[in-house]
Amino acid sequence: MNTAREKLAGMALAVPATLWLLVAFAAPMAIVLLLALQESPDPFAPISLTPSFAQFAAILGDGYYLETIASTILLGLGVTLAAATLGYPLALWLARLPAQWRPYAFGIVLIPLLTNVVVRSLGIVLLLSPDGLVNGLLTPLGLGRPQGWLFTHFAVGLALTQVFLPFMVLALYDSLVQADKRLDEAAASLGASRIRRFFAVTLPLSLPGLRAGLTIVFLLASTAYVSATILGGKKVWVAGMIVWQEALTNLNAPTAAAMAVIMLVWGIAFAVLAERVVRALTPWLQKAGAKPVALELPPELTRKLVALGDTAGGIVARVLLGLAIFLLIFPLTLVVVQSFNDVPQASVAGFRAFTFKWYAAAFDASTYLRDARNSFELALISMLIALSLALPAAFALVRAEFPGKSAVAAFWMLPLALPHVAIAVGMLRLLQWFIAIPPFWGLVMVHVVVILPFCISMLRTSVLQLDRSLEEAAASLGATRGLVFVTTILPNLAPGLAVAGILAFLISFGEVTVTSFLTTARMQTLPVRIYAEASFSLEPTVHAISALTIVGTVALLALVNRFVKLDRVWAR
Amino acid sequence: MISRRRLLAATAGATLASPAIFGLNAVAQIRRGDELVVGIWGGAQERITRQHIVRPLEEKYGVKINYVLGGTPERRARAYQERGRPSFDLIYLNIFESRQAVRDGVTQAPAIDRVPNAKNLYESAKLGGYGVAFNPVTVVYDKRKGEVTSWKDLWKPEWKGRIAWPSYPGAQGTAALLMVAKLFGGSERAIDPGFAKIRELKPFAAIQGSQDQLYTMFDQGVADISIEFGSFTRSYAETRNPNIAIANPVEGQVIATNVACPTVGTKNQALVEAFIDLHLSEACQMQYARDIYYSPTVSGLNIPADLAPKLVLGADVNKLVDFDWDHVIAQQAAWTTRFNREIAG
Repeated sequence: MNTAREKLAGMALAVPATLWLLVAFAAPMAIVLLLALQESPDPFAPISLTPSFAQFAAILGDGYYLETIASTILLGLGVTLAAATLGYPLALWLARLPAQWRPYAFGIVLIPLLTNVVVRSLGIVLLLSPDGLVNGLLTPLGLGRPQGWLFTHFAVGLALTQVFLPFMVLALYDSLVQADKRLDEAAASLGASRIRRFFAVTLPLSLPGLRAGLTIVFLLASTAYVSATILGGKKVWVAGMIVWQEALTNLNAPTAAAMAVIMLVWGIAFAVLAERVVRALTPWLQKAGAKPVALELPPELTRKLVALGDTAGGIVARVLLGLAIFLLIFPLTLVVVQSFNDVPQASVAGFRAFTFKWYAAAFDASTYLRDARNSFELALISMLIALSLALPAAFALVRAEFPGKSAVAAFWMLPLALPHVAIAVGMLRLLQWFIAIPPFWGLVMVHVVVILPFCISMLRTSVLQLDRSLEEAAASLGATRGLVFVTTILPNLAPGLAVAGILAFLISFGEVTVTSFLTTARMQTLPVRIYAEASFSLEPTVHAISALTIVGTVALLALVNRFVKLDRVWAR
Repeated sequence: MISRRRLLAATAGATLASPAIFGLNAVAQIRRGDELVVGIWGGAQERITRQHIVRPLEEKYGVKINYVLGGTPERRARAYQERGRPSFDLIYLNIFESRQAVRDGVTQAPAIDRVPNAKNLYESAKLGGYGVAFNPVTVVYDKRKGEVTSWKDLWKPEWKGRIAWPSYPGAQGTAALLMVAKLFGGSERAIDPGFAKIRELKPFAAIQGSQDQLYTMFDQGVADISIEFGSFTRSYAETRNPNIAIANPVEGQVIATNVACPTVGTKNQALVEAFIDLHLSEACQMQYARDIYYSPTVSGLNIPADLAPKLVLGADVNKLVDFDWDHVIAQQAAWTTRFNREIAG
């Protein structure tokens, strides 16, 4: 077979995923740019092709917007720092755990990750309410607040840390398990204490993973709005809330779009900055001749710090590990407990009496069941489409060579790196223009965009691990390419497909950020319903439904664990 | 089997063709299996309307009625976004939003002749849709912490830091802003004194976005005073929290009206009108009055003597503080921005 044909075949494999992303991702992003350059905020005004910077001038010339942007970025940085501090000990613990325990320990990270953000924020509400646990612990120390800790930046920051910590842990875990263990052993044999080894060997080797974690946590934390709305009680404002309010409540798409573009800019700026810093700190990963940057402290100070680290380091690490696990799991437990609590309103945290009535109410209200069915169908169809786009894409990445391959691969991962609210604002307008597209299919288009990068990167690993000699054997026995695919490749890919499918399903099922822009009164999903009720009036019925989704998540993850051990799911 | 492309094309055709048959829909009959989507407030209102409207209609016609619960700003925005192809058939709005929505072609003006019970509506309840309840807004507070006889009492030191200010936009937040402006030399056309005086009240214990949120805050001692519907709060005080009082300020309470607004383009015109007709029925109106002290918008009801003092009836409706709602709604986006900056932030 000649190489020109192979190149063509490789390109053909890359076409479906690329086309989908062009229509459902690049087009909305282009619309956002176009909207941001409109002068008139009138929702019924025709689109002007003459660019105007009026929206940017209005935002950047306005103290309130600047303050909100500044506090959003600070909040994002704080959350990123907190996630790194708590995530590191947890990732290290996971990486050093005996192999047979790892899958279960991974549940600690994956169960919260795949439970939707509204449910988790509701758990934090219970944790921080006036009669909640945090206040209960702090009040005897004289630090309690009679009004509780809700509606503060602390509350929002804690919720965001809970929500995005798993991404940090997964990114760090990746590079920690890949690090060469002999380096650590060598350092130990030369007499370096644990703390010295950590700062001289473990930490530097994990810097690429840390960079990935910092980047994604900052991006997500600085563009989120759901947790801020629930925990901030409209007293804490973040940029994402402004996008939501301008786009949906004030029908002012241009201002919303301009704010989304500004978020895009700071996201990219942070990613570039993190990349530069880590590059400077990891000269051994760069081309020869790179200048090493080393932090040199006075020897006396170093000695004292090491001594301090040797005595206190272990305790600090254990405390942080405990805090991280507590923060990930405890809010979910609270939600489950609250679903059996006989209280008049859901934000009352003290346990009064045991009841099943919220479950009865949840099943009695046909709206929840209908929304659950919407969510289920949406997640199932999005997952099937994403898998069928991702499979050829994965083959293109692993087995084909064609011009522009690395650019295409980068394009496929782009939805992970850009704020989802921007996609939402663009898609909202697209659906207003193309009213023939039913809302359900509009949601499918976006959900596929959100889960496609995950599917591609997971299937890529599965394709890489295929044993090609089996295919060659089948081919040598006379099987056609199609037959080889069906009888040899697919069965071997089945576990990988199942895992990618279940995770994609869960991500889609719990998606709120984009979905809440695009639902209508006739087409609502379960998490968006819970979100709407959480920000209006809240009964523990919502907790009953949330508890059911947590149980569903745990069950599906147990199923995943039968195909592929959970600690391998995310490995690349 | 129909291919997806075919299905999409067929849906597209149906959607594009639909404006042509609006005229038909307007006179269409109620068919078994029809589905109605209603945007309304949660809590007691949901319970009462389900009992008096949803259940009878579903039983009589074999239809399905779905509720989308929430606050009016969200509903209104959704309806504007979907102008001409609404996913709502009927939305409930406040007095200041409903009239503009009719002018913007989002909701329908009332058709009194098609809704039998609407012929008894007070004149002020026939604007911008079908008024279904009067419920004035006033100061509500924990009477163990102080007393309120005037809106100006909000500035007394005992409430400092203990106020749950109502979020804007929304009936309570709008009434509060307009009343404060009026008290301190401004008006709906000179709103600055309103914002300035509210700013003086900061820091707030909280910003409350709904009655349920406020009552939780009262229950938990997060706040001691707020601005709310007196009606609903009276029922809350009688059933859950006897410490809460409803002020009757010397300057008066601010009018608010719940208005039922059929969307332009609904495919269920006859069912929507049957729904509204039941909302205006004596049984439903009386249940509202008994349970949450919402005052009826239709005349000729037999109000028991013990209930009458707790309601606003007949000529008293005209004594409530009223504003130029068309101007108010025109300013909503600008005031929202200001509220977020100066009050909530």
